[in-house]
Amino acid sequence: MTAPTAEASPDAAFPGYLDCLAEADEYAAIDVALGLVDAGVPAERVLLDLVAPAQAEVGERWARNEWSVAQEHAATHISERVVAAIAARANPRPTRGRIVVACMDGEWHALPPRLVAEVLRLRGWQVTFLGASVPVAHLVSYLHRYDAEAVALACALPMRLPHAHRMIEACRRSDVPVMVGGRGFGVDGRWARRLGVAWAPDAPTAAELVADERALRRVPPAQLSHLADDEYAGLTKRRGELIDSALADLRDRVPGMRDYTGAQMDSTVSDLGYIVDFLAAALYVDDESLFTEFVQWLVDILTSRGVPGAAVGATLHHYGAVLHDFPRAGRFLAAGAALIPVPSGAGRR
Amino acid sequence: MTAADVRDWDPGDGPISTPSALRAPARSAGDPARPAQALPPLAPDRGHCAPDWSEVVEHFREGLIVCDADQVVSHLSPVAERLLPEVAPGVTLAVAGIRELFGGDNPAEFTHRSRRLRVRRVPLSAGRSCWYVEDVTESVTRADALLAERARSAFLAVVGEKLGNPLHPDRAAAAVVRLAVPTLAEVAVLVLAPRSGRARWWRASRSEDEAPTVDSGVLTSAQLPTAIEEGLAGTEPHAVGWLVEQAVDAGWLPGLGTHETSARVVPLPGHDAPAGVLLVARRAVRYYDEADVDLVRAFAARAGAALTTAVLYRDQAEVADTLQASLLPVEPAPASGVQWGTAYRPAQAGLRIGGDFYGSHRLTDGGSVFFLGDVSGKGVEAAVFTGQLRQCLQALHRVESRPVRLLRLLNDALLETTQAHGQGRFATMVLGTVRAHRDGGLTLTMSGGGHLPPLVLRSSGEVEQVGLTGMLVGVVPDPRIGEVTVRLEPGETCLLYSDGVTEARGGRRGDELFGTERLIGALAGCQRMPAPALAERVEQVTCDWLGRGDHDDIAVLALRATGPGARTSRHLHSVPRPPDQRESDE
Repeated sequence: MTAPTAEASPDAAFPGYLDCLAEADEYAAIDVALGLVDAGVPAERVLLDLVAPAQAEVGERWARNEWSVAQEHAATHISERVVAAIAARANPRPTRGRIVVACMDGEWHALPPRLVAEVLRLRGWQVTFLGASVPVAHLVSYLHRYDAEAVALACALPMRLPHAHRMIEACRRSDVPVMVGGRGFGVDGRWARRLGVAWAPDAPTAAELVADERALRRVPPAQLSHLADDEYAGLTKRRGELIDSALADLRDRVPGMRDYTGAQMDSTVSDLGYIVDFLAAALYVDDESLFTEFVQWLVDILTSRGVPGAAVGATLHHYGAVLHDFPRAGRFLAAGAALIPVPSGAGRR
Repeated sequence: MTAADVRDWDPGDGPISTPSALRAPARSAGDPARPAQALPPLAPDRGHCAPDWSEVVEHFREGLIVCDADQVVSHLSPVAERLLPEVAPGVTLAVAGIRELFGGDNPAEFTHRSRRLRVRRVPLSAGRSCWYVEDVTESVTRADALLAERARSAFLAVVGEKLGNPLHPDRAAAAVVRLAVPTLAEVAVLVLAPRSGRARWWRASRSEDEAPTVDSGVLTSAQLPTAIEEGLAGTEPHAVGWLVEQAVDAGWLPGLGTHETSARVVPLPGHDAPAGVLLVARRAVRYYDEADVDLVRAFAARAGAALTTAVLYRDQAEVADTLQASLLPVEPAPASGVQWGTAYRPAQAGLRIGGDFYGSHRLTDGGSVFFLGDVSGKGVEAAVFTGQLRQCLQALHRVESRPVRLLRLLNDALLETTQAHGQGRFATMVLGTVRAHRDGGLTLTMSGGGHLPPLVLRSSGEVEQVGLTGMLVGVVPDPRIGEVTVRLEPGETCLLYSDGVTEARGGRRGDELFGTERLIGALAGCQRMPAPALAERVEQVTCDWLGRGDHDDIAVLALRATGPGARTSRHLHSVPRPPDQRESDE
């Protein structure tokens, strides 16, 4: 680990770099990355072919319950330090206008937009990275203060789409073109199209899009006429009540819940809340697949942590029964429930 | 814009509701189920019509031309005679030479002798037919005027909406020219009032698709065309011919030549002198008439207001930013053996400052003094008070570095200030010193001024609460101040936080306090996290707990003992860690 890596390619350096993240060894990780830069690998390639895939792997390991949240956070912090080190080493001179990059309010996955920010910087833009979970008011006052040619907003969780939309509108009111990215808009950006905003799947595409102001402004308007049925508004209003009733329902069905610790209880409540929030987001963009993708993900996560998927199924049915006068929500919940594997004979937890 | 472009409604004052000429063919050809046609035609000879019908119909607004089976005009009402003087009774209608009467459209609408006529042909019995001729000139004119007025209002509404927010001055200028195209002009140029001899300009030109292209540049005052200079002086030039020449000479009108172009210059009202001048130009086929110029002036008034607001906002924001910057917490100074981690999230997001504060100062003996606290109140006033407090500490730590005595000095200083100003403000804080040992451990000596006691994350992954009490700072002359000494082994972290963390309200109903228990739960097992990641984690779990709820200022300061490998050298890599701990983590 001490000697600089001999193989000057991001692919070859990947396993060693991942070990550095696993060991939470910031300095070794920086050495690996800078070693590549010094060996002539373009900084952009190191960011996109080493740091980005490593971070994706970190997320996978957390999802598979191989890494704790603490390990994930530590690894992410190191990735950020690596990005900063690469940026400092490359130190490009800005020749183009200002671009503001920020995470949506409530969004803490700051590394992907940070990578986009650095790629834009490497391509000559003057980039301001406002960081994780940027409040709308902060972003807007920044835009009033500094002339930005575009704003790039990141959203990793589709659950935040309704707030993302508000943030996009706020930027538009400042007459600054908006570009979005991140998994929160769907793998193909379909929810960005629904919200009427330009979307980039990756950093290089973002760099091309941001240079084309007319393309940024030429987006078709949002298609949100379905919001007239008030299901989204009604659901968000009843959020607390829904979680309460789902919790009561779980208590009836799962006797073991009486022995839950405070932390277990909190995480149950927050899972119940996520289901409501993802359902609300699915209603907002009127797309069943947003909800079913989430249910599949939640079942996978819980299964890897020893919680049977049937518990999710029961909650979906419960929400369906409570929301009997919400036809769209009912359809989404039924589609979600259809994904849950039928419980085997084994006892439920 | 003319009525014919957009008309999709009936002006409503004809005796019969008739779709316009533009829509008639599509309707009659493609829609057999049209209600008007579904009715059976009236029998022409009903016999029970006692009054002299020709006398009655002469007073209709519609004129009548009745022809026999051979198309010879047998009857011509006075109204029809006045509208179509070419038509004469006793000769065939074709002789009059009005082609539209026999066109495919029924009803047909056409302009004849500068009147707008609507004509419909109805077959009568025995092969005869009747033409009903109506003069719709006035209703069409009114409809045109109404629609044009509506389009102007709609345009100004859009302009008001787009320019209604305070914008960055450059954004506002670009927005002004972009909005002017294509409604007001094919090319719009905005020239701002020169500042120190240089005038900035923005130009939007119409392009193939919807979005106009915008460019900008700078001219010296001497390069400005005379018309623009006059406009900047507040006069609106009226002789437009030489205006076009000047604009073309200046190279401002790409794609438009001198002869086929019509242009106008309007000043944009500012505070006293105009904020700038707007030049609009388009092909002369659409000459700027009085109504157009009124619209350009109305637009210019809004644009001027937007530009003035933008400049005003910028000037004030510059002052506010400078003041804010002095009130923002300063990141702790690097200290050997200590890894600092901070998080700061003020309650008022737009303001970015609040009543929480933290910081550190290096001591001459190699240690550091550090602090985190919270002053009473929120917002700007609280932030200003934190500024005074930090300045006090900045000065006082040079004369006294023992935490309890330093906090006492601070208490006296604050008490004096608040009594002098009658503010009645106070603060809670933890203030300590940190010193690194040769083995990589840290010794923290902390004094408590009524603040939440710090937490310590041990290398076992367990979290300890430090027993530290004390009274508020800045309230009484001789407060009770607690003191505690904590030893951190390499890899262990001490965390100071404000009550914005533990008193965050969230949970199921948004009214449950986050509490110390949850905070401890969130830290437990995170012993391998670097201090910045740990501080961000506290911020994140707190904000997640809050959901969308309001919150108090949140501040976190973490100190981690980095161990003896605290490196400046890049060749030392792994932080030494007890082997048992490594197993428990992975």
